[in-house]
Amino acid sequence: MTENERNALTAPGGLIETLPPVELLPRVIEKRIAGWRLCQICAVTLKQPENGGVYYELSYSFAREYELHTFRLVLPQEEEIPSISQVYDCAFLYENEMRELFGVRIQHIAPDMQDKLYRIDTQTPFGRRK
Amino acid sequence: MAKQSIVPFGPQHPVLPEPIHLDLVLEDETVVKAVPSIGYVHRGLERLVEKKDYQEFVYVAERICGICSFMHGMGYCEAVEHVMRIDVPERAKYLRTIWCEMSRLHSHLLWLGLLADAFGFESLFMQSWRMREKILDMFEISTGGRVIFSVNRIGGVLKDIPPDMMRDFLSRLSDMEKDLRRLTQTFLTDYTVNTRLRDVGFLTKEDAISLGAVGPMLRASGVAYDLRTTGNYAAYGNLDVQPVTSNIGDSYARCQVRIGELFQSMDLIRQAAGKIPEGPLAAPVKGNPNGEFFMRCEQPRGEAIYYVRANGTKFLDRMRVRTPTFANIPAMLQTLKGSQLADVPLLILTIDPCISCTER
Amino acid sequence: MDITRVLSCVGYILLAPFLGGLLDGMDRKISARMQGRRGPSVFQPFYDIVKLFNKQIFLVNRSQFFMVVSYLVFVIFSGALIFAGYDLLMGFFALTTAAMFLVLAACSTHSPFGALASQRELLQMMAYEPMVLLTCVGFYLATGSFQVAEITQNTWSPIVYLPGFFLGFSFILTIKMRKSPFDLSTGHHAHQEMVRGVTTEMVGSLYAVTEIAEWYENVMLLGILALFFINQNPLSWPLAILAVLAVYFLEILVDNTAARLKWDKVFSSSWLVTLLCGGLNLLVLDLVIHLL
Repeated sequence: MTENERNALTAPGGLIETLPPVELLPRVIEKRIAGWRLCQICAVTLKQPENGGVYYELSYSFAREYELHTFRLVLPQEEEIPSISQVYDCAFLYENEMRELFGVRIQHIAPDMQDKLYRIDTQTPFGRRK
Repeated sequence: MAKQSIVPFGPQHPVLPEPIHLDLVLEDETVVKAVPSIGYVHRGLERLVEKKDYQEFVYVAERICGICSFMHGMGYCEAVEHVMRIDVPERAKYLRTIWCEMSRLHSHLLWLGLLADAFGFESLFMQSWRMREKILDMFEISTGGRVIFSVNRIGGVLKDIPPDMMRDFLSRLSDMEKDLRRLTQTFLTDYTVNTRLRDVGFLTKEDAISLGAVGPMLRASGVAYDLRTTGNYAAYGNLDVQPVTSNIGDSYARCQVRIGELFQSMDLIRQAAGKIPEGPLAAPVKGNPNGEFFMRCEQPRGEAIYYVRANGTKFLDRMRVRTPTFANIPAMLQTLKGSQLADVPLLILTIDPCISCTER
Repeated sequence: MDITRVLSCVGYILLAPFLGGLLDGMDRKISARMQGRRGPSVFQPFYDIVKLFNKQIFLVNRSQFFMVVSYLVFVIFSGALIFAGYDLLMGFFALTTAAMFLVLAACSTHSPFGALASQRELLQMMAYEPMVLLTCVGFYLATGSFQVAEITQNTWSPIVYLPGFFLGFSFILTIKMRKSPFDLSTGHHAHQEMVRGVTTEMVGSLYAVTEIAEWYENVMLLGILALFFINQNPLSWPLAILAVLAVYFLEILVDNTAARLKWDKVFSSSWLVTLLCGGLNLLVLDLVIHLL
């Protein structure tokens, strides 16, 4: 980690690091071992400017003391990613919410609410983009 | 092997302040497991970023919840101000701090009342809420609203607290402080209250950190984590804030921490009132935001994260609030395991649940 | 048939609901003033009963109706026995039967809250029954009879011999009247984990019947309390009424200054009080009687 990145960790807003989806689970396990706590997981639905394809930007934020480190994943709509609830128990709420509201394909969430966390009528209302 | 029964707790239950459903698996009167189910007040407010432009969205952000209303508006404004690199005037920052701490006062008093109601002490409930009315009166005088104030705007605040109003508020707070000390003494020393609160709902320090607990839930288990000490938002950088912690980790400790924070808030308001400078109330806002930012602030219930992503148009791409209750729910489920049924309302209230914030 | 017995009994059956409702109204008014509120009118319980009888009745099952009505009938029967001057012990046994009917009514629905609350009600009964029975024994030892008519004609007020029993009985009165800190199975405030406890699944006129039965029971219990003070001197009657009202006020005070305890504390504290107050008094009384 560079000096700039280390400073960014404690600055307001924290450090945002983009990762390829395959690196998510290994980095999360590293964070768990180093004693970071899971802060939040967020999803944004965006459209590619060139061809209008829909993709997700996922942000996994971790905090230790007052530092904030966010992993940014850019995920095409159809791609699957593994759940981190096996590493961080408390992730199940965020991941169930992302799957139910956004339609992000997350595998092996423990416990899996089967899309009954919010019990809404519409399917993935946040997964669409005008 | 004792017979297991399932008790559906909520969503309509007189002891719950907001609708949450818990399926409690009971063996006699001991809770073995609790399965949560939320979604009764999900309004999908975050979708409104597509319809309301970023300046109008302040009003939507405020209406996510009635108790945490001011800090939601402020969190959103600060996030957008960071993205647009707007310099908020000092006076506005101090005013925001004062209203934040007053929000904390009224929220903790509300919680104390609900806690007293949950363990059957109605007169204490009435007295706590009567104290709270005095804070709501102060809100009404300064902002015009008792619950939802609408004083935040991108760039600053809309209304001012002139010096004579400030002096009046400080004298009201001093009067309140004496009554508050008597009231909180009952919570801390009464025999029946102690039997209900002590040794109920233990959360160890390691569990609290690994389950992602925040706020008084975390501080009562011995972790001194309070975002106000970073001074990264409003005027907290100029005020002296010490986290209020306790090492015990049970419901009594959480009650103790929140009561400690009541007096800390009064002290902070006095500090801010002493240091507040003259100046404009808001900075001018030009153009549209472009960029993203994670804003963290310390709400009465804990750390709240406001994520704003903008793309240069007047409609934001995404606004997301990660409320403290969302982070505390796994910790609550952990404390529910092995508890008695009589303690379930107490343990639900111990995280200070604000379900309307959680579900947005 | 003694005319006073008939008058007293009929008077109880006809007037007890009005007296009980008035006491309930006063309770609400005084509690409200203690909490700094104005409180409803003293006649509010009567307006509530009228309103409840006008509501649509939802019967979960037919046996629930039978149980609740049996509860009312047995409470009236036990009170009538006491006020007609007959056996004190018999009256209390009838009251226990009435409580059993209430428990059965709560169990007969398949509501988890009703079932759990009925378990708590049974626990409460285990907590207060010893003291109640000991009190009857105490009256026998002090006055030589279980018959209420003879107890009221005693030369001295029984309280002279039974101070410990009086204290113990007042203590468990808090449980029987369903006041904090002992309002486990049902109370006057619905903000507890059992929702409304044993009366959760009772609506409309069925709930009104349980309210009226509770009034009959309260008047009967206060009557037993008055028994501690009544002797053959007619001046003892107003003294008894004053004493009873004082104890009632104390119950309201305790209700407003204590949180609700859990079942283990209720159980242990009532048995402790029974052993200390009732047991010691019994021992002393026994010794005094043998020595004299």
